[in-house]
Amino acid sequence: MREVTFLEAIRAALWEEMERDPNVFLIGEDIGRMGGAFGVTEGFYERFGPDRVVDAPISETAIIATCVGAAAAGKRGVAEMQFIDFISYGFDQVVNVAGTYLYRSGGKTPIPIVVRGPSGGYVGGSLYHSQQFEAWFFHTPGVKVVQPAFPDDAYGLMKAAIRDNNPVVFYEHKFLYRRIKGHIPDAHEDYIVKLGSARIRRYGEDITVITYGAMVHFALEAAQHLEKEGISLEVIDLRTIKPLDMNTILESVRKTSKVLIVYEAPKTGGVGAEISARITEQAFEWLDAPIMRVAAKDAFVPFAEPLEKFVLPSVEDIVFTARELAAY
Amino acid sequence: MSTTRTRRKNGQQTVAPHERLEKSDLIEIYRRLWFARLFDEALYDAKKKGRLRRGNVYGSRGQEAIMVGTTYPLRPDDFVSPIHRDMPVFVFRGMTVEQVMCQVWGKAEAPTRGKDSWSHMGDMNLGIVHSTSMLGSTIAVACGVLWAQRLDGRRDRVLVAYTGEGATATGPFHEGLNFAAVHKLPLIVVVENNQYAYSTPVELEVPTKTVAERALGYGIPGYSIDGNDFNAVYDTMCEALAHARAGNGPVIVECVTYRIQGHADHDETRARNYRPVAEIEMWEKRDPLTRYRQYLLSTGQFEEAELPEPPADIKERIERAIAYAISSPDPEPHTALEDIYDESAGVSL
Repeated sequence: MREVTFLEAIRAALWEEMERDPNVFLIGEDIGRMGGAFGVTEGFYERFGPDRVVDAPISETAIIATCVGAAAAGKRGVAEMQFIDFISYGFDQVVNVAGTYLYRSGGKTPIPIVVRGPSGGYVGGSLYHSQQFEAWFFHTPGVKVVQPAFPDDAYGLMKAAIRDNNPVVFYEHKFLYRRIKGHIPDAHEDYIVKLGSARIRRYGEDITVITYGAMVHFALEAAQHLEKEGISLEVIDLRTIKPLDMNTILESVRKTSKVLIVYEAPKTGGVGAEISARITEQAFEWLDAPIMRVAAKDAFVPFAEPLEKFVLPSVEDIVFTARELAAY
Repeated sequence: MSTTRTRRKNGQQTVAPHERLEKSDLIEIYRRLWFARLFDEALYDAKKKGRLRRGNVYGSRGQEAIMVGTTYPLRPDDFVSPIHRDMPVFVFRGMTVEQVMCQVWGKAEAPTRGKDSWSHMGDMNLGIVHSTSMLGSTIAVACGVLWAQRLDGRRDRVLVAYTGEGATATGPFHEGLNFAAVHKLPLIVVVENNQYAYSTPVELEVPTKTVAERALGYGIPGYSIDGNDFNAVYDTMCEALAHARAGNGPVIVECVTYRIQGHADHDETRARNYRPVAEIEMWEKRDPLTRYRQYLLSTGQFEEAELPEPPADIKERIERAIAYAISSPDPEPHTALEDIYDESAGVSL
């Protein structure tokens, strides 16, 4: 086992996959000579050279498209979005080109690509360096969506994402990069976390909290707090948003009968809306209270601290809503 | 009158194609031009008579010299990414006419299994890269196919990406060519400048006199040539291929032509309203098939009787494929949910 930060776990996974499979290559802005804006790919250029660690022009479309075309020809490209917000430039490549490719090739041409990058708020990043657009791709057939919360999951999920034969959008919450530490298995163990498997990070009796990304840490903090009040939260870390692990969700719902869904993106049309709908369709008779959501307000993520705090969900929001649910 | 086209390169006269190609090549080219013409006519006819009931037919009448001239000098291991007015290119690069017709009719054994229509198909084993309706997007995807070749040490495989003059106004066209030029990828972008993107004339798509001038911004060669002259297309492609194969980076080949028909079969009436009819009639007189036939006769190698208009067996070959497609099975409804994900890697629950 190795103790690493969240960021180092991602770096280790990328490095080991590059060592394992010569078909894997990285492409992005400033990822080569510089080692990436956040330093995720430091040392890669020196080890793997300019053809496998590609310093691309500021061209998100071309960056993702290069991975797509290379995938059609048998390679496994990992595209770094310097900030995942910039994936909007490459939206057509993810949705209309990569997402549909297997379908329109009659099942013959899988597109194993990973589009990864730092996401999320709480760091004063303002409008274009703070967003969580996972719902866009959650809505897109043919694409998988991953967002880990802990180093071991980030490590195992990144390896699985690279080995997966489908386009995967991989959200790395920048708030976690250097704040969260944990142990990951040694390289020779070849550890992966299968995509589509949630993990219960805390067992509880009263309320099922379904969440992912940085919100997992918020939920765990809220759970600690509420424990003193005699309210027991079960915290499910989805890890993979698509495919969604409904079995783990439903099993927990049947135990607690109360559901709180927490996500950092704007509330309307978010991933939590779909989860809520599915629980209602599949486990309505098990529910003792309305399904509640804690999410960002339907706004952009603003710059000034009081504004950002007002828009994004907080530990207090989770505590407050969980109390309401417990009392229902 | 001679339509023999010679080109000057470094002050040297290059030889005309008929002096470099065998007589059998010249005949094959003539037949391919006619294949493209009859392919278009057969599908327009099938749509008109109700034998083809779904989808649009995108006409290619008048653009045949581009399809044949850009593919004839290719190596078998080169790549192409054809677009909607290049259907015969799929056949020239190895698909069967039956496969192409099954695609048009949305049949189970089509390359897309009935999932997508018309030209949105490919076969990586044949080096045919799948395009989408967003034509510019494929220019960027082409960079990836070529990057894979670079990783495999195959830097001399060229990719010919087709696009329209309208698509050169899109972002991906720019990002793709810019990337290809920065990294000197062997990409040849053939711009079929047929002067109309649906109803929008070229001057509302491109601010420069030629589309080829866009090459200046990438520091790469740009040719603007007569796309209705097979020899001009062929010669230019030979030069472009040599340039790209030698590791000098991408080339733009703008083939100036004209969209004789509407945007698709549903547009035939309006296409004679949003464009001057005199303009259409003028371009009909520049027919690439007539011009190539005149060229062949001018070489002195052919008798009139050797160049029938059209060659007798081609129409029958196309008809046979259409009959095959019509009688082949439709896809089962449940297959609509197949091929969305590939789980063969076993890393997903």
